[in-house]
Amino acid sequence: MLNYHPSIELLIDYSAGTLSLAHSISVSTHLEHCAECRRHVSQLNQVGSHLFTGLHMTDSHSHEPSSELNSLKEKMLNNLSADIPTSETIEQAPFDTNTVSARIPRSLHQFIQQDYDQLEWTRLSSSLRVATLCTDTNGSQVALTRIKAGSHIPTHSHTGEEITLVLEGSFSDEGGIYKKGDFISRNASHKHKPVVTKDAECICLTVLDAPIQFTGFFTRWLNPLLRKHHPNGI
Amino acid sequence: MNKPLTDDVSSLTNDMAAIANQRDKQALSRVFDFYAPKIHSFCLASHPGATLMADDITQEVMIKIWNKAHTFNPNTASLTTWIFTIARNARIDYLRKNGRHQSNIDPEFIWDNIVDEDVDLFREAQREKDKKMIAEGLAQLPNEQRQVLVKVYLEGKTHIEAAQDLGIPLGTIKSRVRLALNKLSICIAR
Ligand SMILES: [Zn+2]
Repeated sequence: MLNYHPSIELLIDYSAGTLSLAHSISVSTHLEHCAECRRHVSQLNQVGSHLFTGLHMTDSHSHEPSSELNSLKEKMLNNLSADIPTSETIEQAPFDTNTVSARIPRSLHQFIQQDYDQLEWTRLSSSLRVATLCTDTNGSQVALTRIKAGSHIPTHSHTGEEITLVLEGSFSDEGGIYKKGDFISRNASHKHKPVVTKDAECICLTVLDAPIQFTGFFTRWLNPLLRKHHPNGI
Repeated sequence: MNKPLTDDVSSLTNDMAAIANQRDKQALSRVFDFYAPKIHSFCLASHPGATLMADDITQEVMIKIWNKAHTFNPNTASLTTWIFTIARNARIDYLRKNGRHQSNIDPEFIWDNIVDEDVDLFREAQREKDKKMIAEGLAQLPNEQRQVLVKVYLEGKTHIEAAQDLGIPLGTIKSRVRLALNKLSICIAR
């Protein structure tokens, strides 16, 4: 049983598709670990589906020229291949899922084709390394942080919202102990003193709202990195 | 309140099997007739007047239905929910590809049907119960609560955008959503 879940607002935005892709990755990763949230999202999808069904009932008189949809239909039917879908007609993942380590969440397969070790890690201190996975259209960054067993991260506060999802190992702060699958959302009002548990290293997925203002949880360490790599050349 | 046309959907569910197994274009044509107007309206709800975008996405979704018919499992999700999630993802993908900002994140691999993969009998019974509660609850929802859900699900607005649109505080939006979910028996205690 997990103790830390995405907020209901996040689950709704995820289900409605209004959540940024960067944040959606963190929610999907949590869902892989959490049957409870899977059920909620399934329920929320049904809500969307019911509202969708209410659109344009077939028995209603519509203002839409159905002749246009009909010509769209004819065009599409003529172009369809009658073959049983093959690897060419089905969209193939642009990566080979067979090589991916079993411990990598499916939501990260598009970024990690083997294992964590094969990523390009940047050492930020003797106990902390980071690897950036992707950047969303709004500038949010998705990254992994990897912290040595038993490490303390210096106390700090931060501006902006930051999501942390535990992928391997565990860490704790004043708020509790966070384990594999736990979803932690922090904003400016929090002050942290996270410590990684002694028995194993901790790997976390982090989603960072606005790349310029990080003074974050694990991720204020990313600042020099982001300045170097951010496309806008901050 | 509109009632879903359940009979039509069950015959369309059979059509899905014909599409998957016999590559039946007539069956796809019937699925198109029922769902294409909804997909089209769904796109226009978030982008009023953008008919070309709506045409593109509608066609995209129907081709996905044709190509992925064999992955549809009526025991884990209703046809409408399955198509709704395809349409939702197609709308996201369209906006990503045609947006001002580029991103290397492919939405196709984020959702990945993970939500509807739990297939044990307990989960199936739970799903049937959820379905009934949600259908009944939505039919009785006060307008102001329904309106917020429409903004979010159909118009694609975030909670903050919905608050701006309706000219009410964000806190009111959140409490309306929570009240609505309570009525739909979606109890999320957090
Ligand atoms: Zn959860």
